[in-house]
Formats: sequence, structure tokens, C-alpha cells
Amino acid sequence: MKNQHSIEESHSEHITSYREHFGTWVGLILLTLMTVFISVFGADLRTITVATALFIASVKALVVAYYFMHLKYDPRIYRVLITIVMSLFTVFLIMVILDYLTR
Amino acid sequence: MTAIATQQINYLNVKKGIWSWIFTLDHKRIGLLYLYSISTFFLVGVILGVLMRLELFNPGRDIMEAKTYNQVFTLHGVIMIFLFIIPSIPAAFGNFFLPIMLGTDDVSLPRLNLLSWWLYVIGALFALSTLVFGGGPADTGWTFYAPYSVKTGTNVSMSVMAAFVLGFSSILTGLNFIVTIHRLRTPGMTFNKMPLFAWALYATSWIQVLATPIIGITLLMIVVERVFGIGLFDPSMGGDPILYQHLFWIYSHPAVYIMALPAMGVVSEIIPTFSQRTIFGYKPIAYSSMAIAFVGYFVWGHHMFTSGMSGSAAIIFSILTFLVAIPTAIKVFNWLATLYKGSIDIKVPLLFALAFIFNFLIGGLTGLVVGALAVDVHVHDTYFVVGHFHYVMFGGTGFAFFGALHYWFPKIWGKMYNMTRAYVAFGLLFVGFNILYFPMLILGVMGMPRRYYDYLPQFHTLNQISTIGSWILVVGLLLMIYNLIAGYRKGPKAAGNPWHGITLEWQTDSPPPLHNFDKMPELPEGGPYNYPNAKSE
Repeated sequence: MKNQHSIEESHSEHITSYREHFGTWVGLILLTLMTVFISVFGADLRTITVATALFIASVKALVVAYYFMHLKYDPRIYRVLITIVMSLFTVFLIMVILDYLTR
Repeated sequence: MTAIATQQINYLNVKKGIWSWIFTLDHKRIGLLYLYSISTFFLVGVILGVLMRLELFNPGRDIMEAKTYNQVFTLHGVIMIFLFIIPSIPAAFGNFFLPIMLGTDDVSLPRLNLLSWWLYVIGALFALSTLVFGGGPADTGWTFYAPYSVKTGTNVSMSVMAAFVLGFSSILTGLNFIVTIHRLRTPGMTFNKMPLFAWALYATSWIQVLATPIIGITLLMIVVERVFGIGLFDPSMGGDPILYQHLFWIYSHPAVYIMALPAMGVVSEIIPTFSQRTIFGYKPIAYSSMAIAFVGYFVWGHHMFTSGMSGSAAIIFSILTFLVAIPTAIKVFNWLATLYKGSIDIKVPLLFALAFIFNFLIGGLTGLVVGALAVDVHVHDTYFVVGHFHYVMFGGTGFAFFGALHYWFPKIWGKMYNMTRAYVAFGLLFVGFNILYFPMLILGVMGMPRRYYDYLPQFHTLNQISTIGSWILVVGLLLMIYNLIAGYRKGPKAAGNPWHGITLEWQTDSPPPLHNFDKMPELPEGGPYNYPNAKSE
């Protein structure tokens, strides 16, 4: 009776090159260094520092999801769901930061 | 003879022994495991609540010290919120009835379902362990506000870890329901032909999945700050206590809808059944659940109007708060319109549903009072707020939980309770509830602050009335429990469809067989609430 859907059907083997893995890793390291650099040398920028750090962290998370977690091979619905969650998260941040900026 | 014996095998008697229960993968048994666990913790919470009311019977010390009182109201809050109300209807009745109402044989991920219950048990043990380990139960209130929660010597770390683990249980249940609703609806059941209880659980599940992780990480931050002294929330270490409140309420306000939406789903089932009439405004009720879930994400700041949050942010949060009233009112009007010209049969489940509407209206309207910026300044952290949220949580969700228990009792156990005793118990509960909590609204307007074990002499009479109300409520509760247990043990066998409902759970035996249906259920023509007399209208 169970209307089982075989989700495995949409999955297939993906062979990713070392070059792509290594390039992604280098990109993440560079973004981490950028975060450190901004926090050390841009501390007086306050909100902009925080916003930049959050932006870089979000880019890193997306890079990990897209390449390491194979989001690029997944069906479109996964990207839609991640977009919804990230949008919700962004609204949370904006509303919290709004309080800080207008306090 | 063999055929008769086969028919009598159901999910209750198919296997025996404790192991067949605590390691079961059957959604119905898991639902009952939740029901028994949740009910147990509800009674513990009630005992703590009654102790608080006894302490408040007279000004000054009556039965406990101030610090004990602080610990008692914290444990009462933690147990009632995290161990009772949040899992109550979804985990117990949702687990039991969602697959049946969808016409399938189980949830999509049965092992994950069992893991959810085990996580619930582990979280509960964490919470109870604070009674004996560390510095005793937390004395912070269930909100664990920083910086006090970072500094107090009581066992806050274990309390927040309990909430953390319980959060995982909640997420997994929500995830399971979302997948089940998307993948396992019986053929022909489109989203717009789903029962409204399923819609309510669907909206609830999205909140559970998307909002609960935020409280998880926030509570971990409390532990990190206590253990490693990192200044996240403590201003003396450069932290910001208002940031904690933001993070806490980003989850905990949507959590109010985790508590309320399933209750609304129960009411949406009970009212058409006992009116024998098509639900008025199926789509508005269904979509308003989603609207409440969505808008509910963006109103958390109304808990912080007096905390030091900016005025501009407060105005925005106040406006958004008023917006939530719209989908809620849509539901109430549609329920009342469903009753209009219906063949109303005033049985106990319907009384609980009507009590839900009455209590929830008081809770909702007093919510608008505290959602208004100017008034909130005066009533914030007074007994008005305590009265308000008990009207929503207990008067609303609690009564819907009791209503669901009476509505689905014959289906779950195949027995019927004594209806007269049930009427009396309902009356005691309803009267006791209102005598207990309505004085709190007045006390709040008079200026009595919450979370104090002592008060000024002018608050004495109303506190005594409130405490007497708690005694009536407890009598009603005991009578209800006795009646249900007696019904289970000695009650007459219930008919398969005693209320003449037409959603799919009423098409199967009582109690249901192991795989829910012996033959493929038939969807009612014209939607899930198209009652025969409605067709002739």
C-alpha cells in the first residue's frame, strides 16, 4: 500500500576531479583569511565588518553545499529549499540588525 | 473462526511485552508512547503549578522559600512547554492519526519516528536530573534569560541541554510529518483534499524544522558561556543580553504556533463532525495555518518591548504582531460559520472545542493588549501576561488536547468512556480554569508582578480566588483521568464510527489493525468534510 517513491532514482554516481576539490578548498581558505583580515584591520567599521563577515560566511557555506555536498548535482527543489531557508535566515538577521542600528 | 480471529488482531494485541512497545516502529504505538509520557509530565507540571498556587494563597512564605519558588516555576515552565505542550498534539495524536487520515500505513520514516521518542525520553531525563544533580533545578524561568542564566549557581547547563535534546526530537518529528504528507497521501488525496488536521500539522512541522535549530544553538551558547566564560551575552564580559532575547524568541515565538496550530487542527476536525456539516471555508482555514506559521516567524520582538530594544524595531514588531490576528480570526469565524445551521450534537469533544474557542479568544484578545506598545509598558512582566499565555496555552491547546483525547478515544482503544462523568469533568475543568486564570488578568492590570513568591495585601483576595480555582481544576482533571482509565478498562466496546465522522480514520476498525486499513480506504466525494446532509443543502 505504501506509496514508496524511490528517491535513489534521481541520484547517480558523480566523479569529481581533484582539481575541483582542491580549488574549492583553496577558495575556502582564502575566504577564511579574508574574514580574519577584515576582523583584525576593519574592526573600527563595526556594522560593516559584521555584515561583511556574515556575507563571507554565507558564501563559504554555499560553496561547501554546492561543491562538497554535491548540491550542484541535486534536483532543483533542493536549491529552492536552500534559497527559502537562506532568505528566512537573512530576514532574521536584518530584523535583529535593524534593532541594533536604530537603538 | 480463523477469519474472526484475524479481524480481532489490532495494533494493541498484535504483540505483547515492554520491548514490543519501546522498540516499536508502528506509528500508533509510538503515538501512544508519546501520549503516556506527555501525560505523565503534564501531571508533574500540574503538581508544580498547584504548589505555586498554594504558596500564593497568602502573602509571605506559606510552604516554600523564595529560591525554591523560583526553581518550581522554572521547572513548571520547562516541563509544561518542552515536555508537554510542544509535543502534545503533534507527537501523540499526530503520530497516531496523520498516517491514518492520509490513508497510508505508517509515517515515511518509522525508525526516525522511534528515535524522536527516545530523544524525548533522554531530554526528559536530563530535565529531571537537575532535581538531584548540580545546584538543583534552574531558577531562571523557562526563558533562561542571560546574564542571570550565565551566573546562577543552579543547574542551568543541564536544563538547557534538556531543551536542546528535546529540540532534536521536535525537529525529527516535524521532518517526518513533512515527508509523510508529501509522499504518502493515498491516491486521489490532493493537498486540497487533506483533512485540516493534516494541514495544521504540515504548517507546524515547517516551524519545527526551520525554527528549532535556532534555540538549539542559542542554548548551546549559554552552556559555552557558563563553561568557558566567553562573553556572548554577559555585558560584564562584552556580551549583549538583548541578543540572547532576540535569539531565544526567534524560536520561542514561532514555538507558540507549534503549540497552537495543531490544536486548531483538532478543532477543525471536531466541529464539522459534531455539526455534521461541511466545514465552512476549507481553503481559508488550511491556508491561514500556513499564514500563521509564516507571519509567526517575524513577530518575536513583541516579547522584548521593555527590554531596551530600539523604538523603531518595537513599532515594526508591534505592527507584525497585529497581522497574526487576521489568519487566527479567519479560523474562528469559519468554525462558527460551520456550526451555523449544522445538526449540532453537543458531545464532550465538541464542548472542549467550543471551550477552546472561548478561552483562545480571551487569550488572543489579551494578546493584542500586550502587543500594543503603550499598554505593554504597563502590563509587561505582570500577572496579566501569565493570565494571557495560560489562556492561550492551557485554555487553548490544553483544552484541544483534552478534546482530541475524548474525540479519538474510541478509535484508539476501541472502548467508550462514561459520557455523564465526562460532561461533569468538562464542567469542572472549564469553571476551574476560568476561576484560576481570569483573576490573574485583573491582578496584572492592578500591577502585581509575575515570578514573585510574595505580594502586597491588596492582591490577597484575587490570589485566593485563583488558588481555589486551581483546586476545582484539579478535581476536574482527576475525574477526567479516572473516567478515561475506567473507560479503557471497563468501558463498553465502541462502534467503529461513534461520531459519524467521514475522515479516513473513521473508515477503519476501532482499534485500527496493524497496517491501519484492511482494505483501501475510499475518499469521500467532494472533499474530506462533505457530510451527507451537506450535499442536500
